[in-house]
Amino acid sequence: MSKRWMRPALCWLLVSLGFAASCGYAEPYIAVQTGLKCTQCHVNPTGGGLRGPYGDVFAQTLMPASKIDTGPDLWTGDVSKFFRIGGDLRTEALATEVPHSKTVSQFMLEQVRVYLEAQVIPERLIVYVDEQVAPGGALNREAYALYWSGNHDWYVKAGQMYLPFGWRLQDQTAFVRQASGINMTTPDQGVEFGWLRGHWDAQLDVTNGTAGGTVTDSRKEFTSQVVYVESIWRTGVAANYNDKLGGSRSTYGLFAGLRTGPVSWLGEADVIDDKSLGFDQGRMLATLVEANWLITRGNNLKLTSEYLDPNRDVHSNGETRWSVVYELTPIQFAQIRAGVRYYDGIPQSDTQNTRLYFIELHGFF
Amino acid sequence: MASHLPRPKFVPVAALSCLAALLGGCAGNGNGLDANGNPIVPGSSAPAALTADFQSIQDNIFTPICTKCHIGANAPEGLQLDEAHSYALLVGVPSAEVPSVLRVKAGDPTDSYLIQKLENASGIVGAQMPFGGPYLPQSTIDVIAQWITNGAAPAAASSSSSAAMAVTATMPVDRAFVDAPVATIAVGFSQRPDASYLNGAVHLQNISAQAETVPVMVGQAEGNPATVVLTPLAPLGPGTYRITIHGGDTTALTSVAGEALSADYSFTFTVSVP
Repeated sequence: MSKRWMRPALCWLLVSLGFAASCGYAEPYIAVQTGLKCTQCHVNPTGGGLRGPYGDVFAQTLMPASKIDTGPDLWTGDVSKFFRIGGDLRTEALATEVPHSKTVSQFMLEQVRVYLEAQVIPERLIVYVDEQVAPGGALNREAYALYWSGNHDWYVKAGQMYLPFGWRLQDQTAFVRQASGINMTTPDQGVEFGWLRGHWDAQLDVTNGTAGGTVTDSRKEFTSQVVYVESIWRTGVAANYNDKLGGSRSTYGLFAGLRTGPVSWLGEADVIDDKSLGFDQGRMLATLVEANWLITRGNNLKLTSEYLDPNRDVHSNGETRWSVVYELTPIQFAQIRAGVRYYDGIPQSDTQNTRLYFIELHGFF
Repeated sequence: MASHLPRPKFVPVAALSCLAALLGGCAGNGNGLDANGNPIVPGSSAPAALTADFQSIQDNIFTPICTKCHIGANAPEGLQLDEAHSYALLVGVPSAEVPSVLRVKAGDPTDSYLIQKLENASGIVGAQMPFGGPYLPQSTIDVIAQWITNGAAPAAASSSSSAAMAVTATMPVDRAFVDAPVATIAVGFSQRPDASYLNGAVHLQNISAQAETVPVMVGQAEGNPATVVLTPLAPLGPGTYRITIHGGDTTALTSVAGEALSADYSFTFTVSVP
């Protein structure tokens, strides 16, 4: 371990742990804020996607600044006794500043996703689909069958799914999600075994290891995560090994969350060793520290600080990214997010010194 | 719940400001590095401005921007865009999201999925690239399109390679398991093969059916003549297949430079019902 990258790595890791389960296009800080496991609010035991009845009620009662009165009726996603639906829509106005280039501003439909859940055997056997229907053609993100044990302390999932690794952040461009290569744009096909008992959650996934690409050999990817959850803090470790003909890729992650009054902290540090790349260029380090300050109900200020060392063997090549995002949830199922992301990298690279300014409308149900 | 939250005893913004001040110096100063963050080798020159050739596009676009995600075994859609893999996985290769469209169709940028994804064209699946932005300015995309219009040639260094005539890549890879039907097989070479040797030197057999020879059309990939494309007269169904490229004698597959494959090369793959 060279001293050069140790200092920033230690500094970030200590901050992560000193202040300190992953939840899709989710906001895992809500889990830290409430002290709940992801499965409390989401159908998917590892979080994200379709909300369960509790998640729907939470989104209508405890999350928004004010609630438009709908009388005794609350949306729970139930179409019938056996079917539930949900969805997410994100559209934004985005301005991008890159040094030596003209500023580009645009309106953009980020995504529209539809979730379907069939309780084939209520509370035991579920068929679940997460389909991105816009922009562009339809794109299947998750599609699996999930079998729960009688007391919901273990499950088996088979099909296409997101892999459990670290914080399942809303921002898929976060360094920890890009560098690890495990995010919500890279679901994989295989099986997942989950174990949830008391304060513990654990998953083991065996998948093709092609991140949605064509399967060209019989080698597999293994992903495992163990999380310990307390009411005001939680911590977890994750490991991933992708065995490929061109060279294996190993990723290890440590992540934690802590609630201090109105502030929920998230921290994650990932080390990636990709032997499929030449000249030992695959050793990377990515870290994240995020604070979510719940100012008042429906008003959250998110401050994020990230670090990326794209090659541990090279000096002076670190990148950082700072984000300030204000999230206003004025009424149930509608959120406005406004923020800036400030990239700071080597001066030779214009794209490593980008500024992004955005206002996003997020509708969900 | 939130309405009963205690008033903050400290100001989180101030705490975060301190955190930022503490960690703000972590970005590298770039001393001794090129624009891609790699150490400058004495005697080497800095990357030139973007031009419509593959090496320039690799150095200015794929390496510094796309490989943030498209690298290694976990690359989205299996598309690795580092220098070692990008050309072989782009030119003449069907896209994973819309298999009827080639990632790069030499001579035709409009029908190249790479351009469609960069321009957020209608008909793409998934998000515009680079994922999450910043998106490439149209002038940059135009340069990539011009490279495709010009025939999507490989980098000059690789096209003038002095490496011995050898197989460099196969699709499917050796001992792969792939879903039926298989309509195309590709074999990449270190040198451009002489087309007159192709039909006699490349053979496809179904070795799960008593090594029965499978009729196949053999040709060079459009815009990528170092890659040989085998098209079975009928898509391959379930079974185990072996490709053999003949080498070692006067009928061996020979490059346009006159260098023959030194020995037979073969690889197998199994086609199964999806």
